[in-house]
Amino acid sequence: MKTDFEKRYQRAPLHRPAEKVSARVRAASEDLAARLHKQPDRLVSLPYYEELFTTEKRKKELQILNRKVVGTYCYFAPEELIYASGDVPIRLCSGHSDTITTAEELLPRDICPLVKSSFGFPILGDGWIDACDVIALPTSCDAKTKLGEYLADYLPVWMINLPKIKNYDGLKEYWLKEIKLFLHKLEELNGKKVKAPELKNALQLLKRRAELYRAMYELRLAHPLLLSHQDLLMVVQSSFYDDLPRWINQTELLYNEMKKASATGKYAAKGKRLMITGAPIIWPNFKILNIITELGSTVVADDMCAGHQRLWDYAEPDEWTLEGMLEAVAARYIFPSVCPCFTTSYDRIDKILHLAREAKVDGVIYHDLRLCQIFDMEKDLVVKVLKENQIPVITLHTDYGQEDVEQLRTRIEAFLEMIL
Amino acid sequence: MITAGVDIGSVGTKALILEDGKILSTEIMPTGSRPKITAQMVLAKALAKVKLKPDDVRHVVSTGYGRRVVDFGEKTITEISACAQGVKFLGAPKGTVRTIIDLGGQDIKVITLDDEGNTKDFVMNDKCAAGTGRFLEVIAHALEIELAKLGELALQAKQTITINATCTVFAESEVISLLAQDVKKQDIIAGIVDSIAERIAAMSNKIGMRPTVAFTGGGAQNIGLVKSLEKKLDTEMYIPELPQFINALGSALVAQRLQSLR
Repeated sequence: MKTDFEKRYQRAPLHRPAEKVSARVRAASEDLAARLHKQPDRLVSLPYYEELFTTEKRKKELQILNRKVVGTYCYFAPEELIYASGDVPIRLCSGHSDTITTAEELLPRDICPLVKSSFGFPILGDGWIDACDVIALPTSCDAKTKLGEYLADYLPVWMINLPKIKNYDGLKEYWLKEIKLFLHKLEELNGKKVKAPELKNALQLLKRRAELYRAMYELRLAHPLLLSHQDLLMVVQSSFYDDLPRWINQTELLYNEMKKASATGKYAAKGKRLMITGAPIIWPNFKILNIITELGSTVVADDMCAGHQRLWDYAEPDEWTLEGMLEAVAARYIFPSVCPCFTTSYDRIDKILHLAREAKVDGVIYHDLRLCQIFDMEKDLVVKVLKENQIPVITLHTDYGQEDVEQLRTRIEAFLEMIL
Repeated sequence: MITAGVDIGSVGTKALILEDGKILSTEIMPTGSRPKITAQMVLAKALAKVKLKPDDVRHVVSTGYGRRVVDFGEKTITEISACAQGVKFLGAPKGTVRTIIDLGGQDIKVITLDDEGNTKDFVMNDKCAAGTGRFLEVIAHALEIELAKLGELALQAKQTITINATCTVFAESEVISLLAQDVKKQDIIAGIVDSIAERIAAMSNKIGMRPTVAFTGGGAQNIGLVKSLEKKLDTEMYIPELPQFINALGSALVAQRLQSLR
């Protein structure tokens, strides 16, 4: 299989026995699932999603499925094209802290926890990456850009060269070319061309997913505790792994249950209504959400690439020709994106203000992962604009470890006392 | 009515007994490894000083990192709110405090207050001991000097050494290197104190400091740090009596309000 890395210099892939670390990874998922299970008046459609994190069922299914599995990172690997090719995308961004030490045997310590956490899995020969045939890796930040060189020791890697300046003239042409190049690689992988009807099906399926998510979001604005934010992120992130039509069916059931339950009036927000912006909060690193719940407040909105943003956007072509659809796919990944990997941050600020007002939040929590420079560098202006708009904001600088839970609790609790 | 505030900090645990706005007694002990027991002991000692029994206290409110481990408190508040309450109560000469700098064992906090004295915004150091009370302890240990004497010694410096490391562990190494170069302890201490003041000043400027600035917490007892910080902030600071007990005071004040709500 073709890879972007022609190996002129070799590094032997590092392998480490998985048992001990994998047991901790499993335990972290099981602990979180057990915790979520205990939430009062929880909807009965939800345990389905837990299984995607706590069991190997789906991974086993992928391994016997006669379809290629494309491991992806970030928001930018075009799912539409992967589905249109008949392949399955699996997003590999991880929130596990237990694999970080393993990854640090090779990677430097001073890079973001998401990259280190994800890279622990190929070393251990565990996790979703084990089911992948190839990896599609957007160059969204420095750590992801260099991660490709490391991942290429384990699997074929396709880099996706993401433009970083949103409003430069050549962007549309350039990015459309990159999208087409990605499609071409998929076609080579599968030994067949993607035809317009296949791409149309994929677009429609992902539009259905977005519509369903938007309906859930609307319902949740009025009744936030229908789904705690932990549950919402679990549902969103289970779509990284699940069979898409099956996920849509299940989520239709969930939506219907939400509609019925909303009539009981039991699911109003408790305490303060909060929004989270910033670096992704990925299963099972829900520590900030758990603290907020314990303090009796409710997260009602987020703008995260592993949360709201992931399912909100879809491609809407003007023309249902292959070219027209590809143009829509290209546009869908750049223009609505609020990733700080782009300059400028103005689109993101607009979106945060919009979401904060729409969800009538009492305050915003800016979540910033240590050593993720781009979220950190955007923080200053985002915070300034929020304050100018009389929206209280607190910034939390943390990582995947649990050791600062009490410090975080003090900060969040003081913030809640402040906006009383 | 008698109330008590207990502040279980990362380094020290403080108790303060209050009767109708008058401070009756205070007590402080190292928190140690059993914060729950320490908190009980500190409260008992503070009460014994003025010959009171636990039953004489109507309400207890706890604050600080250990606020949730105690079993006698009726309410907990964060040290940020407690500090703002305490300072608001004490007030300041020539008007009211608008900024509080609190230097505790593991945190530096800068709190801004609105014109009513309520918390407007706050900023804290993130998951790092640089410039905290713990940092001063480590440096005092490396120099074999009592913590309480650091401030005075800093004022005796003949020259200013720049300490580059902001990490506690690296700063300790840097201090040891300076000792090996036969640099005077006073000069090293002054360098350390300046580096802390610089860090605090940066935090204060970032959050938008307005005078009057109050300085509280154990760090406010370090006269060298006070002078250096005043120079960097270009303002005189208000240092309350008993700066270490402000959070305990704030908690005891909140405890008084528990009563009036009933």
